[in-house]
Amino acid sequence: MKPVTNNNEYLRGTLKTIVLNLLAEKGRMYGYEITQEVKEQTQGTITLTFGALYPVLHKLEQEGMLLTESVEVDGRLRKYYSLTNQGTATADVKTQELGRFLDALQQLISGAGPRVIPATV
Amino acid sequence: MIRLSRQRIEELKRFLQETKVDRVLLPELLDHLACEVEERLWEGEPFEEVLAALRGEVTVAVVQDLNHNPLKLLAMNASMNEIIFEGRNKAYGAYVLRSRYPRNIRIALMCVLLLMALAVALPKIFGTEGSGKVTDRMVETDLERIFLKEQEPEVVLPPPVREAVPVQKQVRYLPPEVVTDLVEETPLPTIEQMETAQISAQNVEGENFTEDLILPPTEMVGPAKGDVIELKGMEEKEFLKAEQQPEYEGGSEAFRKFLEKNLRYPPQAARANVQGKVFLQFSVMTDGSIANVEVIKGIGYGCDEEAVRVVRLMPKWRPGKQAGRPVRVRYTLPIQFALAE
Repeated sequence: MKPVTNNNEYLRGTLKTIVLNLLAEKGRMYGYEITQEVKEQTQGTITLTFGALYPVLHKLEQEGMLLTESVEVDGRLRKYYSLTNQGTATADVKTQELGRFLDALQQLISGAGPRVIPATV
Repeated sequence: MIRLSRQRIEELKRFLQETKVDRVLLPELLDHLACEVEERLWEGEPFEEVLAALRGEVTVAVVQDLNHNPLKLLAMNASMNEIIFEGRNKAYGAYVLRSRYPRNIRIALMCVLLLMALAVALPKIFGTEGSGKVTDRMVETDLERIFLKEQEPEVVLPPPVREAVPVQKQVRYLPPEVVTDLVEETPLPTIEQMETAQISAQNVEGENFTEDLILPPTEMVGPAKGDVIELKGMEEKEFLKAEQQPEYEGGSEAFRKFLEKNLRYPPQAARANVQGKVFLQFSVMTDGSIANVEVIKGIGYGCDEEAVRVVRLMPKWRPGKQAGRPVRVRYTLPIQFALAE
């Protein structure tokens, strides 16, 4: 069964943070590796498309968060991305912000109180 | 893992070029697609099927979007309309109105401009037709003879005779100047010489200098240093990439030797077994000197400071050039710290 992947609406605001966070974790990655890592870690719930990932990577590079290195692999040029010092700091801040936001969302969705009532099957 | 043959990669490249991908983006996207194809082949899908699937996914529209603004964020990818009307009734009409708005505005603007041009051009068109109706007339006029008065020759006055000013005795006494080549030195005048003469830029034999005879001071002008033409606009701008990138004098081999000679492994890094690359950024000025050294990604344990120290030690570089003129270039340099096994 194909998982529902129409998560673009939620992904939009968080993609930058996801990419920064992944790079902080793994150090150095190339574009396709990032999509695969996201797919694996979320068991296919979130899939990054070609057209979504690269604009974010290029934007972050422009902002001085990422550093790129081109390495030849199997006769192709592979572009590796890694965090600059500024990028590392931003990744930290962004990840914390997102965490707080997710907690708040959780409270909103689960009802008035902060308690989460497990659903009985 | 399956590796794609060169032929397959060429095929993918051709497919990407069909989507009119930007040349800058091509290698990265090609690698991405190649990885994806390899993965799918590994899962057992035939190449043709994978390629057909990619054709559906990587359309001209998607690639064009990347091309036009490679720095565009996902949030901006979907237009404002898509965001507003997500999950709403698009058939109602507002969506169509909104999405056609830019096009309509453009058409309206064109119409207005066209009408304006027509309005301006109309009088000209009618003007040329009207000019045909004017008939030429001949008017007779008598010409009178005009006598010119003879001009009296101007009296040329002889230049005023200037009274001869007694030349003062002068002694050459210039502020010392730093020069690269050893030039012929003029011995400094002695105090006795200066007492009876006026200080100036050259030695002039003349009357002894006295307090009661005050003459205008001779001009203190040093020899001209040649015309200096400054191209401020080019120098002030800092390039991230110049047509001709700055280079270590002597090339990369010489640079490697320089590093080998000067780079010391920080002892605390060696103890902690820290290895890796330190990325530095610095400006190569128009004269090749290095300035504004900055660590943009470091590995710590003293390696960053060591890399900065060595970079500051470097001799002048060959400056980068843009349109044949030396320019300032911001240069990124990775310095590898590796421990011998």
